[in-house]
Amino acid sequence: MPIGASLLKKTAVEADTFVQRLDGRVKFLYFIWASVLVYVFYDPVLNLVLLAATLLLAAHAKAAKPILITLLVIIVPWILFAVPILSLPLGFPWNKTVIGYIELFGRKYPVYLEGFGWGLTWPLRIAVAIASALLFFLTTNQAKLAATLFKLKFPFKVIYAVIATLQFIPLLAAEAETIIQAQTARGLRTEASVLQRIRNYLAVIIPLTLSSLNKVQVRAIALESRGFSAPVRKTLIYEARLSAADYLFLGGMLLATLLLAWVYVNIGYSPISKLPWVWAG
Amino acid sequence: MEREVIRVEDLWFRYPGSDSWALRGVNLRVSQGEVIAFIGQNGGGKTTLAKNLNGLLKPTRGRVLVEGLDTRTTPTHELVKRVGYVFQNPTHQIFESSVWREVAYGPRNLGLPPDEVERRVRWALSEVGLSGYEDHNPYDLDYGKMKLLTIASVLAMKPNVLVLDEPTTGQDHAGRRTLASLVRKLHGEGFTIIIITHDMKFVSENAGRTVLIANGQVVLDGPTRSVLQAVEVLKENAIKPPQIVQLSLELQRRGFKLDALTLQEAVEQVKKILRG
Amino acid sequence: MEPVIRVENLTYAYPTSRDFVLRNVSFEVHRGEVLAVIGPNGAGKSTLLKALNGLVPHFYGGKYGGRVVVAGYEVLKTPISVLSTKVGFVFQDPEDQMSGLALTVWEEVAFGLMMLGFPREEIPKRVEEALSYVGLKGLEARSPFELSGGQMQRLAIATVLALKPEILVLDEPTAQLDPLGKFEVLSVVKRLADEGATIVIAEHEIEEIAYFADKILLLDRGQVVAYGPAREVLASVEELKSRGVDPPSVTELAYLLSRDLGVKVPAPITLEEGVESFSKLLGGAGGA
Repeated sequence: MPIGASLLKKTAVEADTFVQRLDGRVKFLYFIWASVLVYVFYDPVLNLVLLAATLLLAAHAKAAKPILITLLVIIVPWILFAVPILSLPLGFPWNKTVIGYIELFGRKYPVYLEGFGWGLTWPLRIAVAIASALLFFLTTNQAKLAATLFKLKFPFKVIYAVIATLQFIPLLAAEAETIIQAQTARGLRTEASVLQRIRNYLAVIIPLTLSSLNKVQVRAIALESRGFSAPVRKTLIYEARLSAADYLFLGGMLLATLLLAWVYVNIGYSPISKLPWVWAG
Repeated sequence: MEREVIRVEDLWFRYPGSDSWALRGVNLRVSQGEVIAFIGQNGGGKTTLAKNLNGLLKPTRGRVLVEGLDTRTTPTHELVKRVGYVFQNPTHQIFESSVWREVAYGPRNLGLPPDEVERRVRWALSEVGLSGYEDHNPYDLDYGKMKLLTIASVLAMKPNVLVLDEPTTGQDHAGRRTLASLVRKLHGEGFTIIIITHDMKFVSENAGRTVLIANGQVVLDGPTRSVLQAVEVLKENAIKPPQIVQLSLELQRRGFKLDALTLQEAVEQVKKILRG
Repeated sequence: MEPVIRVENLTYAYPTSRDFVLRNVSFEVHRGEVLAVIGPNGAGKSTLLKALNGLVPHFYGGKYGGRVVVAGYEVLKTPISVLSTKVGFVFQDPEDQMSGLALTVWEEVAFGLMMLGFPREEIPKRVEEALSYVGLKGLEARSPFELSGGQMQRLAIATVLALKPEILVLDEPTAQLDPLGKFEVLSVVKRLADEGATIVIAEHEIEEIAYFADKILLLDRGQVVAYGPAREVLASVEELKSRGVDPPSVTELAYLLSRDLGVKVPAPITLEEGVESFSKLLGGAGGA
């Protein structure tokens, strides 16, 4: 296996915990369920609870690191950007409740609760969606993933495109490394001016793209020759079956949903931070 | 005694993230003007060794001296000026829309003035026989010409040593012949050439010295004639000598004095024997 | 006996080009025969092979003339998916043939059977047989991408053998392999040939194919330049060289000696034959 493909050497995390053993459909449902819940409840604390639950599951499955890295890259900058913009008096229409003051450039500015809540909530909602989706991908091996998507009636060619892409990422990374070496041998310098770096980028991206396109074409031909387009029902080797652990997990999700529904009906708003409940907030 | 251009001293190399050694205590001296073949199964270390010769890879232990410069402490861009490396797959290199620009990439990276770049591009293209193709799109060329283009683009940097990584793989016999004459020409002009290849016939006809690398170690290193006749060692490494050598050895076993490395030698020697 | 492959005046141009890549190519292959296709790069060998399983014209389009009948099917009128059950195609680069859907060697072989909707009960047996045949038994659980070049190419052959095709087509299968890989793959091909498989193979390793090719077709710029029994074609040294193809070294040696000395040396095509021929030649003079 070429070296330097450690970028994404194995895209499914190969531990053997109950998370990996859960049926793909259940994990997919968890992703949908968690995302819908955080969408319905305008409550950053609930978001954080679900996020923590997802991350705990991920940690148990030894898949926490890639998820945390993704969240760090996408969500954290988003929060750092959104919170100041929305909570300061910069025009956010629902700002009413002042929770404090901040001193900037010699003037005092109010910080609003609504803007603050918004600035936190949206990124956190997306964080839950991303984390639960990644949990699904990283803990479901490709064959089970294919079987899951197949059972969910995704068209075969789409399934193929998704799974094959995952397998080819390390190959692509290895190609990229070879190309960088080839261009370095022609004088490409990594410590260079901005203009140089743009040229460097082209010197790697163009061969990589052309090589990939070429490979995709050859692979498509090879697949055609193996009956990829045969108009028959494909036989899938794996049967996706639900086990006791799956039913338990589903039961847990159902219980949590009932609990939150009861809270909503009886208390009327988000149980935790007493923020006014807003549809599609 | 020709001057030494590359010296490898007790080189041990391990790829980052791997716990096995790709190179174990390799010692090698390359003198100016030699044409050396690196042979051996894939994964045995020949490419790893070659990439250690111009700083693309740096030694984990031991050292490599390129014209006196230690590769561990010299920036790679200084080393690639002296040891040019032509990669196996042209598509891993070609990215410009014209042959001229493709060949100019190297010299430009060296920061040379435009008229010098122009001179070098013309020279490199004429060396490989692609004069007149300056405005062609590299992807309109057939595979053989693309290979020549990649060699030209490295030649344009005027390195002293040229490493060709599997230049004959994927080529037809005519392509092989073109390559052989190019190697001979460059050799005549004083270049030092290292060829990584699986083609034993090509080795017998073009390389004066052959180095067999297996399991990260140098197993054989000497004149091509003796290396390609070391049948037992080659067999252990799943390599077959070229057919003419095998023929010679078989006929020797039957008592005939044939000791030919190449077709030409075989013809001459047989004629000699027949003349009595 | 009806030939299992019949190509009549095949003429073809890719859609993006005006030049005809194949011009009036005609030949036949009988059951159990091995046909080697040789010629310089760009001669049209790949295109010709792809015309046997329908990639030409169905995948590429283009301008098509003439007639190709394979295992009773007329290629022009039969979809690739049907032809792929009759013609097993092995490409040059082993890595490009890996589906990317299979986590293990076992699954990779099963993939083709899955694609064609084979019943699940039949699959394990076929997979086992195919893997055994190519010598990959014991490696079932490995990832296809962790194999060596020779192993991967044998895996590609296994994926094709599992479908039990009538014809095997191999397009320069050893070009990207190291000597061990070449040996491994050619051994499998030789075994298949010995056991009566019908094979069409494009190869540059001319010294190897001399051992198992029954007939040879020499292609240059889309036209058939020579076509006949392997021995005849290989012995026509001048013709081969003028087309950029080197004959086996022993054959060329015999030719050069014949030419320079005026002696008739029966043209050997393999090392063993060469040893015999030259022993006899030298036996008259020289020697221990």
